[in-house]
Amino acid sequence: MIGPVFRTGVLNLLHSRVDILLTFLVPIAFFTVFTLIFDRGVGTTRELPIVIADEDGSGAGRELGRRLGEQAGLRLHWPGGEPGAPVTREAAEHAIRGGFAKAAIVIPPGWPQPEAAGRAVRPPALPLEILLDTSDPIAGRIIQALLVQQAAAVALGGPEPEAEALPVHVVDLLAEDKSNPVVAVHAAGIAVMFLLFGAVGAAGTLIDEEQTGTLERLLATRATMTGLLLGKWLFLTCLGVVQVTAMFAFGQAAFDADLTGHLPGFGVMTVVTAMAASSFALLLATACRSRAQLNGVAIVVVLCMSALGGSMIPRYVMSEELQQIGLLTFNAWALDGYMKVFWLERPLADLAPQAAVLAASALVLFGAARALAGRWQTL
Amino acid sequence: MREVSLQIDSGERLALLGPNGAGKTTLVRCVSGRVRPDHGRIRLWGEPLSPALRAEHLGLVPQDIALYPALTARANLEIFGRLYGLRGSELARRVEWALEWVGLSARARDRIATYSGGMKRRINLACGVLHGPRVALLDEPTAGVDPQSRERIYDMLDELGSQGTAFVMATHHLDEAETRSDRVAILDAGRVIEEGTVPELVERTVGRRRRVVMRLDRPLEQPIPGILPGSHSAEAVIETEDVGKDLPVALAALESVHHRIRDFEIEAPNLHAVFIHLTGRELRE
Repeated sequence: MIGPVFRTGVLNLLHSRVDILLTFLVPIAFFTVFTLIFDRGVGTTRELPIVIADEDGSGAGRELGRRLGEQAGLRLHWPGGEPGAPVTREAAEHAIRGGFAKAAIVIPPGWPQPEAAGRAVRPPALPLEILLDTSDPIAGRIIQALLVQQAAAVALGGPEPEAEALPVHVVDLLAEDKSNPVVAVHAAGIAVMFLLFGAVGAAGTLIDEEQTGTLERLLATRATMTGLLLGKWLFLTCLGVVQVTAMFAFGQAAFDADLTGHLPGFGVMTVVTAMAASSFALLLATACRSRAQLNGVAIVVVLCMSALGGSMIPRYVMSEELQQIGLLTFNAWALDGYMKVFWLERPLADLAPQAAVLAASALVLFGAARALAGRWQTL
Repeated sequence: MREVSLQIDSGERLALLGPNGAGKTTLVRCVSGRVRPDHGRIRLWGEPLSPALRAEHLGLVPQDIALYPALTARANLEIFGRLYGLRGSELARRVEWALEWVGLSARARDRIATYSGGMKRRINLACGVLHGPRVALLDEPTAGVDPQSRERIYDMLDELGSQGTAFVMATHHLDEAETRSDRVAILDAGRVIEEGTVPELVERTVGRRRRVVMRLDRPLEQPIPGILPGSHSAEAVIETEDVGKDLPVALAALESVHHRIRDFEIEAPNLHAVFIHLTGRELRE
């Protein structure tokens, strides 16, 4: 009794490519992707871009800047484009707000210590200031630790325990007047991933229609294949916009994310992201021959895209090379756009690169889906 | 498909018969536009069948239940009506007509998924002829339904045919083809191997010979000239082209040897005999 049941299970598995894919290949694919992300299997350790605004300009400040620039995990960013040119505090702030640097270190005039002339007691050390983009919390801590270490070496001639005596004032530059910007960025990551799953699921009706003969009947009416696909694309896009909006609205209601304060940018990014996701879903649906195949392929492709594109794990924890590879997914472009809207609060015009890439993806993927759907049009 | 040449007139019903893989569905798809023929022409009332003409004057009823099961019957009819170009009051009028025609006005708001097989078939049919096509292409219109539903569907088709709609109907049901169509085309291996009315097909293939089976009070005890033993022991059979002339002779011969006739049956050649004669008994895959 047990034997035939066991044998049936084995035979069913062997005859189902989708089940084999889900059982064996999906875990391996995910293991590979996550290993690449966390073990730095691709590329080198990332370098964190920082700006140094040396308002002191003297020997100590210059020495601190030089030492920070030599740190393996840091890369000096020069807002004016000319290495070594003086950088003002305003220029450093602008570089962070523009997303060009993760942090700026402001060295006050007279650092590390004001003149003690005429005083009986030595005055306290002047505080260094770090202006941070805390969207990448790991980067902030790394930069802060390196700064304290190098500042101690310059000001006190050695590291701990004297380093504790050096005051560092940390300014969370981008989050200071926002209600809960991190939630909005997290919501974007999750929303884009589930936008893809939702779109693929809804696009699967195309396969259902083909298999039940409904597509044949539809094509016998005045409807054309292009018209049918456009109708489905429009529906999927509208569904996606509603889905993402609902997610962000919940984020605002439950977690204090500021959706209403960023509606124009949110609108632009949500529409172009939903357009691209809809085209992508139609492409998968037209490429697959059955619902089961579509579901299997969608799980692998969408989860891999989401992992590499930053929906599951922030891209800032990945190596530089993996971050570049992530740009092949439109998750990354969408999340970069949402980051500009909710975190960096950039004007609408600054969304142009992300919007253009997503809109172009939508067009190209729709064209590919239309070409593949040709096989259903005439036999 | 090769050497397929068929013609159908207004209000006429043409049945396409053939074993599995003979090309019935392919022929329907050629006409509906799904399959593009390499050669040949398809004309509707003398005009080449363009996509616009096809959408306006052809109705397709696929073999499968090609409906949206999560939607109501009314919603399905409205969707396909719109896709056939119906709008406004005309659409509303045709939807009401279709619901009435298929006898499902009372269930119009129920989802298709809750319907029985016969009800789904009727709505499936209605969605294909909602726009009043001049020719309806029916692929197995009664597949999988009970005899009552089948009768209802053919009554519906009769009603539509009386209004001038012509039907091309691919089917496996020989009895339906024989009783419910005006002409029959038999296909095999992608060709039309015979075409005509059922009497014409019988005449051209198996002939008019009748078989008369007589059930006797006891088995035949001795051979009688012109009378054959039947498949059962107490049966006698004659084969004749003139029943009126030969049957009384046979009855007299049996009576002369003191046999009593309990019952008799005249088996006329039918479409089934024609079909088997033309396509053989081998299984088709």
